[in-house]
Amino acid sequence: MSALVQPVPEVNPLQDPLRFARRVPPCAVVIFGASGDLSKRKLLPSLYRLFYERRISPNFAVIGSSRTPLSDDRFRDVMKESVSNFLEDAPFDEDVWKSFAQCLFYVPGDLNNPASYDDLRSKLDSVEKSHQTGGNVLFYLSTQPSHYAEAILELGKHNLNHGSGWRRVIIEKPFGHDLNSARRLNDEIHKVFDESEVYRIDHYLGKETVQNILAFRFGNSMFEPLWNRRYVDHVQITAAESIGVEGRGAYYQEAGALRDMIQNHLSQVMATVAMEPPSIFDATNVRDERAKLLRSVRVMKPEDVSTYAVAGQYGPGKVGGQDLPGFRHEPSVDSNSQTDTYAAVNFFIDNWRWAGVPFYVRTGKRLPKRVTDIAIQFKAPPLGLFTQETKTGPREVRPNLLVVRIQPEEGISLRFLSKSPGSGMRVRPVSMDFNYGSSFGERTPTAYETLLVDAMAGDPTLYTRQDMVEASWQIVQPILDVWAQSRFAFPNYAAGTWGPAASDEMLARQGHVWRVP
Amino acid sequence: MSSAVIFPAQPEQILKGLGKLWTSLGEEEKQHGKPTVLRACAMTLIVATDEADGGFSASQTISELMREHPSRGIVLSVSGQAEKSLEARVLAQCWKPFGKAQQICCEQIEITARPESWPNVGPTLIGLTAADLPVIFWCRHQAALSPHATDDQKAGLEAVMNIATKIIIDTSALQAKPAFDLIASWQGQGRVVADLEWTRLTPWREPLAHIFDNVARANVFSKFHTIEIAHTDERPTPSALYVAGWLSAPNGAKVKFSREQGPDAGLYRITLQSDAETIEFERSSRDCMTLRSTNGRERKYNYENAGLAALMTEELSVLGPDGAFNAAFDRARELVHELK
Repeated sequence: MSALVQPVPEVNPLQDPLRFARRVPPCAVVIFGASGDLSKRKLLPSLYRLFYERRISPNFAVIGSSRTPLSDDRFRDVMKESVSNFLEDAPFDEDVWKSFAQCLFYVPGDLNNPASYDDLRSKLDSVEKSHQTGGNVLFYLSTQPSHYAEAILELGKHNLNHGSGWRRVIIEKPFGHDLNSARRLNDEIHKVFDESEVYRIDHYLGKETVQNILAFRFGNSMFEPLWNRRYVDHVQITAAESIGVEGRGAYYQEAGALRDMIQNHLSQVMATVAMEPPSIFDATNVRDERAKLLRSVRVMKPEDVSTYAVAGQYGPGKVGGQDLPGFRHEPSVDSNSQTDTYAAVNFFIDNWRWAGVPFYVRTGKRLPKRVTDIAIQFKAPPLGLFTQETKTGPREVRPNLLVVRIQPEEGISLRFLSKSPGSGMRVRPVSMDFNYGSSFGERTPTAYETLLVDAMAGDPTLYTRQDMVEASWQIVQPILDVWAQSRFAFPNYAAGTWGPAASDEMLARQGHVWRVP
Repeated sequence: MSSAVIFPAQPEQILKGLGKLWTSLGEEEKQHGKPTVLRACAMTLIVATDEADGGFSASQTISELMREHPSRGIVLSVSGQAEKSLEARVLAQCWKPFGKAQQICCEQIEITARPESWPNVGPTLIGLTAADLPVIFWCRHQAALSPHATDDQKAGLEAVMNIATKIIIDTSALQAKPAFDLIASWQGQGRVVADLEWTRLTPWREPLAHIFDNVARANVFSKFHTIEIAHTDERPTPSALYVAGWLSAPNGAKVKFSREQGPDAGLYRITLQSDAETIEFERSSRDCMTLRSTNGRERKYNYENAGLAALMTEELSVLGPDGAFNAAFDRARELVHELK
């Protein structure tokens, strides 16, 4: 057959997109760090769930790899236990597991040892034949971040970045520990994989409600005209955790709240809230707009850091009658640690839409509750006709608040002013709620399920691109640099409280207060 | 919470009853000092029934559906036992998500009609549909679907169908040929029709379709020249015919039906044959399906016998025309006429 006359693939006439889940092509998923916590708690349960729901191809295989010596059968046993323990909102089915287990394989090996990659190649070749995976391979780096570059370079040396099908690599956060290391890591990765093959995972972007921000903003016409400096007073993004470092003291001491949450998750959430509408809803256009937004965030001068950023660290506290230790008393934490377990930053976005609108972003551990939400506070009406009765007397109302709840309860609520029934014009704010769980009662896929399917389907919309990662490092780097040179009087907030007083003062200087989510 | 009987069942009176109902739910909210009730509605769902329970089980199913498809539910119970020609009652169905203080509530209207009054129900229903939202008609009135339906039943059906954007029936207990003729006649009038017997086939269809997504199998489906459908019933049921229609419509593959013993009533096995390969998809036990091929691959799938609420949940997610169903239906109708 001439090279010009290619057979035209038959469109699958049995497909029914109205009722069937989105198709993903056959592939093998190689997980480096397969005996680690992430694999056990998230990756394998997500893959099993996708298999159970028939959302991945029947021609599918998982090859786990780590230093622990295990046989295929032993790996299957270990994963069975993990999947049955960590499966969220889903039944464990013995028959389905048996079929799934036939797709699980294991290659013991050390990332430093070239022979491990030869073993991996043999296993991939054998799985490609037995499971008809079409030569497609998705590598998942679930190892220590310090091994990312090394693993990728070895994949390149062993020519595992090429094959008869596509090759893609998913990289977990943290992507670098500062701007320079992120750039170096990108350079190393690009020696082996093209940017289009690199999927940097930020599981926040896989959350249904974060995706819903795009649908909410760009699928409706009524909010977008208000989504700018003329109508928005300020924006608050909160990601609060009630837990402490939970055995991750050693890691957390090196990372801190700013690096662990704001550089990646919350800056991506902020970009999603504030980005311009893409001209087409596809990966390139959506990511272009997110990247453009992040590049518009004002990079602080060192002398401004103390005004626009607050670091905190929790001390001992008492919650629900239980004594909680301070961060410095957590296992593996230095008793004089200067690590931030709380960070609040006032960002400004220097573009026409958002000039002058403060974006307050805060995150912390040992706060009163676990909650992540985004609050858009709209300005007060231009003429204050109504006042609201409060304990301290009547005050002008600024009632319009739109809250996008990300966790634990996903939804959107809009607060507006309404007349109280009865004579006289007494007003009070009321809330209109959209609750994801009650409006769409079906189980929502976990972020990892969504993101794994996207990577298999070759859709990087919800993954971060090199320029996005570097732009988000760019905006936190001056803060990290100044904090690294500072000596804080830590601890400065008690476990179970909403963070240091300095954080409240930062907002008070602009006439704002933190919401209590 | 429900109202007293409303008679005559005029839309204004019924809507007034609904208004009172929400006001009383709001009173409860006032006592608690914070929002306790969320009113939800995404469609009007009209269910006509001739079941002896007076619409109780239809009402139960609507309340199960409200989590995913909150609706203004209208249960139209047609009964010769009814005291009045047409009377109504309104109620709210509520559920409280686990761990939440707020209840999600949907309103429901129960209308009881004597058989001879059914044809006159149209004006009442028109006044009761929720504005600007789709109107779905689920016909559980089996007698009206039979070839022996009375003129009143036919006229009653017509009255409801005229305001519906989609009609859902279940042919599982009907003879295939007259049922298909009825559906075809409705489709000929431009109506969107769905059959829960088709919906029941999704767990069979999806894994089979998946096989032909594989690039290695591209251009292969057309090579499967024979389809065998094994079922447990005396004659091929609508579901057996639908699956045969679905598989043979694209290429006109030859279809054979056979009767076999299976773990449960209905479809038992689907076999696809080409010169090079045979693929079998079998209900291997009550809760398991096995897909195997002569190329040596075998995979097991969980099988859940979907209840009416689950079937309706899927069907209410497809509000417009359903191309896959229509194509399978057209071929299934040809097959039913070819059966001896």
